[in-house]
Amino acid sequence: MEEFLIRLQESDFGVWVSSAPTLLAYPTILMLHTVGLAMVVGPAWVLDMRLLGFGARMPIEALRGAFRIMWIGFAINAATGIALFISEADEKGLKWIFWVKMASIAVALIVTSRLRRVVFGGGKVTEMVPPQAKMLAVASLALWFVAITSGRLMAYIK
Amino acid sequence: MFLGFASWLHKTPISLALQHQVAWLWPVCETLHFAGLALLIGVAGMFDLRLLGFMKRVPIGVVKELMPLALVGFTLNLLTGLIFVISQPAQYFGNYTWWLKVTLLLIAGLNALIFETVYAGRAASIPAGDDTPFALKAVAALSLISWFGVLWAGRMLPFIKLGPAATL
Repeated sequence: MEEFLIRLQESDFGVWVSSAPTLLAYPTILMLHTVGLAMVVGPAWVLDMRLLGFGARMPIEALRGAFRIMWIGFAINAATGIALFISEADEKGLKWIFWVKMASIAVALIVTSRLRRVVFGGGKVTEMVPPQAKMLAVASLALWFVAITSGRLMAYIK
Repeated sequence: MFLGFASWLHKTPISLALQHQVAWLWPVCETLHFAGLALLIGVAGMFDLRLLGFMKRVPIGVVKELMPLALVGFTLNLLTGLIFVISQPAQYFGNYTWWLKVTLLLIAGLNALIFETVYAGRAASIPAGDDTPFALKAVAALSLISWFGVLWAGRMLPFIKLGPAATL
């Protein structure tokens, strides 16, 4: 395992990301990872808060478009996340906090797709929010916060 | 001048107190800063998209009811941002990229203020389904550009250290 991680990190691409003397390598990739974060978590939290009753005059149907923004943001973050991981595979891949982040994102994705099915799946959206959707919204709020927190702590926990 | 202020600030009791807490305080504030930016850009971005002509069936005034959430995000980021600056003033005051971030922040704030004072009433009276006038689209575009600019400068400032802090 560790040998594989070292090979990733020392690959041409990994070395380019971590140490190319250009702002387009590590700094820009990291910055885009934050743009993707805003595009995923921002709309997700807006949808969650709406389902929990905030801004109740806002038709839930109007938030259907949020999934498209989240999907673009997620694609950006999967791509930049993989690049960042390759560049520091040996340091990051063996940290438990990295796996907390991966697990929280995996569960958050499952929760999000369920939420989409429960709320938007049946053609016409009912403006009455089922209790199950509220629970999923709470889970989504919390899981994305855990993902952000564990992502940030990767820089601190050895 | 600003560096003089920075070194004065660095020796104030509040800065010293924050510096001594830095081991746990810094990562906590960073995490909240990221959560706050997601909330702010998520809500403000959605409002901007509405002004640009998306989700036309929803009245602008209704989308605006989500704005308190953006304000929560902004307040969170202002507070955590102040904690960063007060604990390590020279690192920020001495970096031109941070000044660019502050400038973009002022542009975003001024733009929001102009919207509130000049356009908010007119925007609220636009019936659902109608297209928004060019002026509102321009305000929305400037808002999106300046908020993402704030994010860009904030994330890049550790990497683009121009100015006196370059040697820190």
